Amino acid sequence: MKNLYQPETVKIEKIEALSPGVKLLRLKKRLNFVPGQFVLAGLWGWGEAPFGVASSPYQKRHFDLMVRKVGTVSAALHSLERGDKITIRGPYGNGFPLDSFKGKDAVMISGGCGIPPIASLIEYFIKNRKKFGRLYLLYGAATPDEILIKNKINEWQKAVKILLTVDRPTPGWKGHSGLVTELIKEIEINPSDAVAAMCGPGPMTAAVEKILKPLGIPDRRIFVNEERKMHCGLGKCQHCTTGDKYVCLDGPVFNYDQIDKNTD
Amino acid sequence: MFLILEKSNIPELLEELSKKYSVVHYRKDKTALSAKGYFLAPRENLFSFAFKRKKLSVSPKSKRKLLLFGLDPVDLEALDQLDEIMTRPKEDYFYLQRRKNSVVVGLSECSIVHPVTVGDLVLEKINKNQYRAIPLTKIGRAITGSRLFKKDLPAGRQGNNPGISNYPEEKDALRELVKNSELLSEAVSWSWRKKRPIWDELEKICLGCGICTYVCPICHCFSVEDDIKLDGSECSRCRSWDACTLNNFAKVAGGKNFRPNIKYRYYNWFYHKFVRAYKEYGKSQCVGCGRCQKYCPAHIDIEKVLSEIVKDYQNEKSLSAGNG
Repeated sequence: MKNLYQPETVKIEKIEALSPGVKLLRLKKRLNFVPGQFVLAGLWGWGEAPFGVASSPYQKRHFDLMVRKVGTVSAALHSLERGDKITIRGPYGNGFPLDSFKGKDAVMISGGCGIPPIASLIEYFIKNRKKFGRLYLLYGAATPDEILIKNKINEWQKAVKILLTVDRPTPGWKGHSGLVTELIKEIEINPSDAVAAMCGPGPMTAAVEKILKPLGIPDRRIFVNEERKMHCGLGKCQHCTTGDKYVCLDGPVFNYDQIDKNTD
Repeated sequence: MFLILEKSNIPELLEELSKKYSVVHYRKDKTALSAKGYFLAPRENLFSFAFKRKKLSVSPKSKRKLLLFGLDPVDLEALDQLDEIMTRPKEDYFYLQRRKNSVVVGLSECSIVHPVTVGDLVLEKINKNQYRAIPLTKIGRAITGSRLFKKDLPAGRQGNNPGISNYPEEKDALRELVKNSELLSEAVSWSWRKKRPIWDELEKICLGCGICTYVCPICHCFSVEDDIKLDGSECSRCRSWDACTLNNFAKVAGGKNFRPNIKYRYYNWFYHKFVRAYKEYGKSQCVGCGRCQKYCPAHIDIEKVLSEIVKDYQNEKSLSAGNG
């Protein structure tokens, strides 16, 4: 019997500060995964926590995590240096249903630290650009400093229309500010042949109501990447349940109408 | 023909078995806890990691097999369910290792009417002094090889055999109720959807202490945390029981709590047992052992709560059928 709790050890190849509170960890391992899937990353003595994989699924030498310093494990991961080793289990979960996205326009919405799975999805889209229609990324952050994809924008912009907005603009900020709802005017899609992919903190529901509904994308074609507390990743510990679903097994990607009625 | 064990010989049998096994005589009347803790320990080390040598060791299994003696049919049923939960859809290595390294002997004070699908041997009461042996596995059969098990007398020569009596299971309202898992599943989720007052009432009474889940033979929520040795040389990854009714159960790093108050958490406990479990495994994760109501410090009577929910649901259904 395989011990699914036993993690493997991986080396940190590179560390990069993406914002004051977020670091990118590049880990030396070929990870076979689908954008949207997550891993449990850990450090002996500190524990494990779930992270969505942020890099391209085509990357064969390494994969990236974006770690926001919010809890015990993420703080411990922030204290590490290049060459240190951490542990990994996974990938877990379902990932985005890429086949069903083919030939369609896609609107991606992400706020703050919800960008990793969307970043991975964008890399996938770029690699297979011809198979998809118009692509949009709406990304909101608290301040311009908190935008985690600054060094990706130029590269992504060739294939994806990127609309940035911040809650609190700083002098010199040229993008939008306030709710992302304003950006709807800049989106041109065919709603009957479009999908939406989202990941991020709570206000995402507002994004559905104020952007995706007016755009005419039905709930069944809105895919949400959910975040929950997670300890086992195997559907046993019960921490990650929402309604009758396990985020670790059935998710983390759900159709919006699978989960929008859940109280948890 | 079957094998019979005298009740008075049980201590001697356990003595005999303890030469080979670590024997635990489980007695429901002596503990609030169910027997699940022998396989899913209240706290257990999963891994140890020595920092200097960078050496990882998986928690070793004990050299002697555990022999758990005395589970009644209700607890056997619960163990059977927990086995399934820990096997499907993914295997829980640590639980299953402990189960493999164990022998379970059931002791039934009532006549067995439902097939027993878990354990190695069941002893079924046939009269006030004797049990009939029902071996379920090779190990169970081997145990009945002891000289303490006697063959019953052939038919026609029952002169000094006290004979077989029937001991029907005591009628228990909760046991009866949980048998209808489909109805419970419908009623519980309906009652929440319709915002029935019972959930507000429960919110006021429940202390959110988690005792119901600790004493439950099927509840299996857990948390995994690392412990560092005082001298910092080694750490262990520990799994311990958690309870979905506790405040931080669904709280993520950063502070967002997906079930911020006890109403949601209490409902989630019910939802898991009666709705999600029914969808996942086709039955309620409750065998009606009654421990949760017996040990609830707020005296929540789960049988009454469930009956009320079901009654409420059926009333509503018959009303709407009448109107239709």
